[in-house]
Amino acid sequence: MIECKSVNKIVTTTEGQLQILRDINLKVEDGQTLAIVGASGSGKSTLLSLLAGLDEVSSGEIILNGQPLHALDEEQRALMRGANVGFVFQSFMLVQSLSALENVMLSAQLAGVDDAKGRAEAILEQVGLGHRAKHYPNQLSGGEQQRVAIARAFITRPKILFADEPTGNLDATNGELVEQLLFNLNAESGTTLILVTHDSVLAGKCQRQVIMHAGELTESTSPSEQQRHVG
Amino acid sequence: MWANLALRLFRHEMRRGELNIILAAIVLSVAAVLSLSLFSARLQSALNDKTAEFIAGDRQLSSRQVIDPAWLQKARELELNIAEQISTQSMLFANGDLVLADIRAVDSAYPLKGSVKISEQAFSAGREVTELPPENQVWMDARLFQLLNIEPGAEVEIGDGTFIASRVLSDIPDRGFAVFGNDQLVLMRLEDIAKTGVTGPGARLSYRYFFTGRDADLDAFYQWLRPQLNRELHRWRSVKDDESAIGNAVQTAERYFLLAIMLAVVLAAVSIAVAAQRYSQRHFDPVAIMKTLGASKRLIQKVYVLQILFVTMLGIVLGCVLGFVLQHGVVMLVSDRVPVSLDTWYWQPVGIAVLTGFICALLFSLYPLMQLFGIPPLRVLRRDIEGSGTKRLVQYVAAGGAIFALMWLYSGNLQISGILFLTGALLVIALFAVSVGLIHIGRLLGSGNIGAWQLAWARIQRRAMNNSVQLISFSVTLLLLLVVLALRNDMIKQWREQLPQGTPNYFLANITATQLPVLKQQFTDFTVNAGEIYPLIRGRLTEIAGEKVQSAVTKENEQPAEARRPGLGREANLTWASNVQAGNKVVAGTFFGDDVGDYPEVSVEQKIAERLRITMGDILTFDIGGQTLQAKVTSLREVNWQTMQPNFFFVLQPAAMQDFPATYITSFHLDGERKQALASLLAPLSSVTLIDVDARINQLRQIIDQVSLAVEFILVLVLSAGSLVLIAQVQASMDERRQELAILRTLGARGGLIRWSVVLEFLIIGLVAGLMAALAHEIALYFLQTEVFNMSASWHFEYWLIAPLVGAAVVGVLGAVSCWQLLRINTGQLLRNML
Repeated sequence: MIECKSVNKIVTTTEGQLQILRDINLKVEDGQTLAIVGASGSGKSTLLSLLAGLDEVSSGEIILNGQPLHALDEEQRALMRGANVGFVFQSFMLVQSLSALENVMLSAQLAGVDDAKGRAEAILEQVGLGHRAKHYPNQLSGGEQQRVAIARAFITRPKILFADEPTGNLDATNGELVEQLLFNLNAESGTTLILVTHDSVLAGKCQRQVIMHAGELTESTSPSEQQRHVG
Repeated sequence: MWANLALRLFRHEMRRGELNIILAAIVLSVAAVLSLSLFSARLQSALNDKTAEFIAGDRQLSSRQVIDPAWLQKARELELNIAEQISTQSMLFANGDLVLADIRAVDSAYPLKGSVKISEQAFSAGREVTELPPENQVWMDARLFQLLNIEPGAEVEIGDGTFIASRVLSDIPDRGFAVFGNDQLVLMRLEDIAKTGVTGPGARLSYRYFFTGRDADLDAFYQWLRPQLNRELHRWRSVKDDESAIGNAVQTAERYFLLAIMLAVVLAAVSIAVAAQRYSQRHFDPVAIMKTLGASKRLIQKVYVLQILFVTMLGIVLGCVLGFVLQHGVVMLVSDRVPVSLDTWYWQPVGIAVLTGFICALLFSLYPLMQLFGIPPLRVLRRDIEGSGTKRLVQYVAAGGAIFALMWLYSGNLQISGILFLTGALLVIALFAVSVGLIHIGRLLGSGNIGAWQLAWARIQRRAMNNSVQLISFSVTLLLLLVVLALRNDMIKQWREQLPQGTPNYFLANITATQLPVLKQQFTDFTVNAGEIYPLIRGRLTEIAGEKVQSAVTKENEQPAEARRPGLGREANLTWASNVQAGNKVVAGTFFGDDVGDYPEVSVEQKIAERLRITMGDILTFDIGGQTLQAKVTSLREVNWQTMQPNFFFVLQPAAMQDFPATYITSFHLDGERKQALASLLAPLSSVTLIDVDARINQLRQIIDQVSLAVEFILVLVLSAGSLVLIAQVQASMDERRQELAILRTLGARGGLIRWSVVLEFLIIGLVAGLMAALAHEIALYFLQTEVFNMSASWHFEYWLIAPLVGAAVVGVLGAVSCWQLLRINTGQLLRNML
C-alpha cells in the first residue's frame, strides 16, 4: 500500500520558490491500478518521482509498504526501490552498453534475485523478445525497447510498478502491445500499478484515476473530466 | 556481484568503443611520457658519453699534489675505473733548440673516454689510436717538431731523459679550450716520467685522476670525497659543472627535455581530463537507471572505480608498448646521426610513465567520477539533471595538485615546478576572464537572421561556461606547443651563433712585441682572417679597496679561517684595450677613455666582481712580477664566455700598462684543407705557441648538431602529442553538438549550413585560443628563459600572427572533419542515439 499525507514539493529557482505539489493526500491499495492524469506541467511526474522515492518531499509523509519514504536517506530509498519497486519510462531508459538480456539481468542482480539469467531469458520470451535477447538497445525498435523495459520491471516481481507515459513514444500498434503486456503481467503478479499518462484511453483501463491540476490532486469522477484536464 | 558487473560493463563498453576516448587518452599520455623520457634518457646518456670525452672520463679530479692513496682505494671499492695523469712544464731540447712544453704522463688506462689521435707527419690530419707511446718514446704536437726542427723518429731530451719523438700528437681528449698559459703538448707513459727527473722535490706537478662508472657510484664517491677536498688544491669536474659551450649546451638541452616531458605530461593530463569528463557525461543515464533500479551509491562507486582501474591498467600496458615502439623507431631513425644506443634498458622512465598513467587517470577522472556518483535517480524522469554533489573547486584542486605533483616528480626541483605551476595557474585565470569577456562580446555578433555565422556565435554564447573551459584547454595546448617551439628555436639559434662559420680554430700565444709585425705580415701573405691581438700579462690580485684578499688554503665547504676577503686564488690574465671587446657589454659605469686620473682605470667582469665583492670605485691592487699596480674600478662588464675568443676578468687602461713587458695572444681561422699551411705560416715565429682547437670546435659543432637534432625530435613528439590532444578535445565537444545537429537536420537545415556553422564556431574558438596562447607564451617564456634556461628573454611577435591563424586552421579543420563524420550519419540514427 502507498499512502501520501499532506505532501508538498517546493523547488527553488532563479526567480524564487516554486510550489509544484500542494497538500497531496492519496492512498493506493495493494494490487490496485491507478492512473495519474493531467496537463503538462501539472506536477504528475513530480508526484510519481516522490511516490517512487526518486526525490524527496519538502513536507508531508509518504508510506510505501509500511516504510516511511520521507524519513529514508538516498541509500535506504535505493534499497527499498531494489526490493519493492519496478519502473517503466517513456524513453525506455535502457543501458545502451548492455544487451536486452543483460539489461533485464541487471535489475535482477541488483535486487539479489537468484538465477538472474534464467529468469531474464524466461521473461524476455514472455514479452516476445527471446530471439532479440542479445541485441543492444539501438538495434531494437521503440516498441521492442519498451518491452525489454517491461521485462526488466517485472523480473524482480515488484510490489509496485511505476510507469511514466509508457506508451508516449510509441505508435498505436506498439502502444497497444505494450499496454496489454503491462496489464497482463500486472494482473498475473498482483502488482500495484501507478502510471502517469496523457492518454485518457490508457488511463481508462486503470481501476482508478486521479487528476493533477496546478499541483493539486483531485479524484476523477468521469472520463470527460479527465479529458478536460489532460487537454 | 559488483566486480562481476564492473567486468561485464567494462567488456561490453570496450567492445562497443564506449571507453575508446579515455583509453586513447591514457595510452597517449603513457606513450608520450615513456617515449620522451626513454629517448631523453638514452640521448642524455649518449651526449654525456660524448661530452665526457672532453674530460677523458665521466669525472675528473685535478690536484696540485699527490692525493691520498685511500681516495683511489675508495674509488676501486665503488668499482670505478681510474686513469692517472701527471703533467708539468719542462724544456725540450733537440737539435740545439730549446722549447718549453707541457708534459703529460699517463697510465695505460688513459683515456677512459675519448681517444688519442696521432699522425705520421706534422700538420696533417690525425687518426685515432688505442695504444699509448711505447716505453722511451714520446708523441709531440706538430708545432714542437717545427720549433725543434726535427722529424718524427728523432731524439729529444726532457730533463735527464732521452726519448724518441716517434709520432705527431694531433689530439688528446682533455686538451681543453684554455688558451692562456698553454704550451705545446708532449705525451709519454707514466712510468717514463721518473726518467726525466722533473718530478723531484720542488717540481710543480699537476695530477689528474679520471673516473668512469655508474652515476650512482660516482656520486657516492664524490659525496665521500667532498669533505676532504681543499678548494685551492683540488678541483672536481664533470661535464655538467662545465661552463663551456658544451656543458652549457648539454645542460640546456637536458632542461629542455625535462620541460618537454613535463609539458607532455600536462598535455596528457588535459586529454585525460577531457576524456574523463566525456566518459562521465555519457554514463549519467546508466548510473541514474541503476540507482532507480536499487543500486546504492557505494555499489556505483565500486563499479565505476573498478572500471576506471581496468581502463587505466589496460591503457598503461598499451601505452608502454606504444611508447617503447615509438622511441625505438625514433632511435632507429636518428641512429646514424646521433650515437644513441638501444643496449641499455632504463627502468626509471617506465616507472615515471606508469605513475603518470595512474596519477593522471585517477586524479583527473576524480571530479567527473564524483559528478557521476552524484547523479540523482530522478534523472530518469528529468533528463536535464546533472550531478551536483561535488563542487567544481574539488576538481580544480585535484587537477592542479596532480599537475604540480607530476611536475615536481619529474623536475625534482621545487622552485622550477613552482614557477611553472604558478605562472600556468595565473595564465589559466587570466585566460578564463578574457575568454568569458570575448564570448560575451560575441553576443552582439550572433544576433540577427539565422545563418551559419549567427548559429556559430549563438552556440559559443549559449555554452559560455563550457566554451570557456574548451577555449582554455585549446589555449593551454597551443601555449605549451608554442613554448616548446619558441624555446627550441631560440636555443638552437643561440647555439649556432656560438660557432658561426669562420670561428677561430687556432690560437697563438707567447707572441713577443717584436714578432707582431712579422705575424701581421704572415697573416696578410697567407690571406688568413685573424682576430684581434690582445696584450697579456699575468698578475696577482692582492688587495680590494685596501683590504688584503684571502690566500689561505681552505676546504671546499669551510669558511676561511682568515677573515679576509675571498681572492682569485691564482694569477689573473690582465689585458688592456681602448675599446670594449666584442662579446662584452658594459653593464655599470663607463668604459675608460685615454685620460688617466688619480688612478689608472680597470673594467671588471660582472660575475667575478660579485664573487670577490668588488664594487664600482674600489681600488684594486695587483702584483705584477714584484711591481705593484693600483687601478680604480670604473666599469663592470657582462662577458659572453661561450664565444671562441680570449676573454678577460680585468681589462686595464692602456696608458697604465706601458711600462710592463707583455706578450700577445690572438686567434685565427684556417680551413681544414689548409692545415698544412700552418707550418709555413708559423715558420718565422719561433717561441710562439700554437693552440689547435680545430678538433675541439668540430667536436663541439658535432655535439651541438646532435643536441639540436634531438631537440627537433622531442619537438615533433610533443607536437604530435599536442595534436592528438586537440583531436580528443574536438571529439569530446562533438558529443555536445550532436543533439543540436540532429535537431537542425530534422528541421531540414542543409548540410552546408550546419557544416559552416560548426567550422566557423571552431575557427572562432581556434583563432581566439591561438591569440591568447601567443600572448601567454611570451609571459611563460620570459620566466623560463630568465629563471630556468639562463637565456636572455626575447619577444616573438611573429607568433602573434601565426598562432591565431594556425589555431583557427587546425581547430577549424578538426571541427570540419568531426562535423563531416556526424553529417554522414542519417538523421534517424542521430535522433535514436540521442534518446
